[in-house]
Amino acid sequence: MTDDIIVLTDVRKTFRDFWLRPTVAAVDGLSLTVRRGEVFGLLGPNGSGKSTTIKMILGLLDPTGGALRLFGRSPRSVAARARLGYLPELSYLHPFLTAKETLRYYAGLCGLDRRTAARRTEELLEMVGLADVGGRPVGGFSKGMARRVALAASLIGKPELLVLDEPTSGLDPVSTKEVKTLVKTLAAGGMTILTTSHLLGDAEDICDRVMILNHGKSVAEGCVDELGASLEDFFLAKVGKADDFKLAEFLKG
Amino acid sequence: MRKFSSIVRATALEILSEPLSLLVLLAALVIAVLAPAFHYHQFGEATRMARDAGFSALLVCGGVLAAFGTLRAFRREIESGTLEMALAHPVSRRGFFLAKTAGAAVAYLVFAAIVLSVSLTIVEGAAVGGRLASASGDIARLWGPCLAAGLGVTVVPLVLGAVLNRFANCRFVLSAFALAALGGAGCAAWTAFRDGLLVLRLLPVALLLVFLSLVVVAAAAAFSVRFPAASSASAVGVVAVLLLPAVGNYCLSDALSGGGTVPWSYVGLAALATAPAVLLFLLLGVFLMDRHDLS
Repeated sequence: MTDDIIVLTDVRKTFRDFWLRPTVAAVDGLSLTVRRGEVFGLLGPNGSGKSTTIKMILGLLDPTGGALRLFGRSPRSVAARARLGYLPELSYLHPFLTAKETLRYYAGLCGLDRRTAARRTEELLEMVGLADVGGRPVGGFSKGMARRVALAASLIGKPELLVLDEPTSGLDPVSTKEVKTLVKTLAAGGMTILTTSHLLGDAEDICDRVMILNHGKSVAEGCVDELGASLEDFFLAKVGKADDFKLAEFLKG
Repeated sequence: MRKFSSIVRATALEILSEPLSLLVLLAALVIAVLAPAFHYHQFGEATRMARDAGFSALLVCGGVLAAFGTLRAFRREIESGTLEMALAHPVSRRGFFLAKTAGAAVAYLVFAAIVLSVSLTIVEGAAVGGRLASASGDIARLWGPCLAAGLGVTVVPLVLGAVLNRFANCRFVLSAFALAALGGAGCAAWTAFRDGLLVLRLLPVALLLVFLSLVVVAAAAAFSVRFPAASSASAVGVVAVLLLPAVGNYCLSDALSGGGTVPWSYVGLAALATAPAVLLFLLLGVFLMDRHDLS
């Protein structure tokens, strides 16, 4: 069994308009490897290509060039996706389904039988602290509650690889800490985790290894412990300070 | 199979949970119940008026639900991002498309079954009321049974749905839909008990109209995978216009006059004619789903 869970080799993604003219190169020659059992962080400013990379790994976007393997297979392969869980940046849920129905729906998509689906649903609702409101439609949930339901949905199939796109987005400090603790617990249990984050402190807390993206390219990669500086300093040195806004001059003038 | 049934169930629930679906259902029931009540314009053909109103409701309101229910279910899935969540699970794109389309078809069939059941009752009620009116000379008695049944399947589900929502936290629209379906089943059973032949006479024509709407479901599913809601709706509109000649089948209800019927062999042929159109749109949808970035 290979230890390389995700392998990207010189992957490119260029978006095109209706007339097939290239509009933007979101990912440009990216190569990375995520190994079994590690927590890998994709960091970068807005528009650096993090989410595009994740969507290619999930098989939602097809690369324009290069090779991408997930568990040694194409990301479009159902067998490969049977082994992953995904938490998107925004908690995409069907508003008309209750929390229980939502989890049972995703359990059904994982092919779990009714009894297992019901048991896993109860366990996960308990884990994310929503057991009392499992019968309420998620359309009426707060952002934080919806995030917890989405997190539970990503874990319903007991995945080997968990892909988290901005996992703490929209959460209050207490919930953020709970999510970070959960990620550490899952990683300690042997789960491989790929995460993106704008919050460098969060990444520093949970990641074993990080890659910094800018304009669709990798500008640095390494273990968090070996960076020799705080992740924030390292990040700013690689990506550059965000001084484009000229806010002070605007306020003066 | 479990994956397929999960998607079918969630899609049917989604469409039937929409307030728009309940509104279309109520509109169809009101047309089926009230249109024949204009008894001064029946020209002595009360049951025919009742029958034609029911078929009109099934055709027009059913077409609206088939098109917009399907279209909204697909576009919302794509635009809200739930499609990303679903396809990050072990489900193939084509499997997801076919299951979601099947779910939209199930929602439409639930609607059609309710409207047809109520229409059957109204037709039977018109026959009963006609006899009462003839015996008493009071034409107003003609529609007593019809209006009672109509109120039973429209107002009662709404009121009970509200009560269930208030006291048992059940979802209002879904509860009202389920109760209307229950009322429809009761109506169908009553009609079948009184006149089983009537059911067998009207069912073939209703199936012809259902076939047309299934083509609309498949077309709406295929277009909405690739195009925004407005463009998809326009494309479905074009398909509906192209189907208009087939709506000539609707005139087959003439064949029901005087105790006549539409032969089942004709219904079989109509099903065979419908199948290629549905298949064509399903293939188009699978192709578009497979070939394009989904984000």
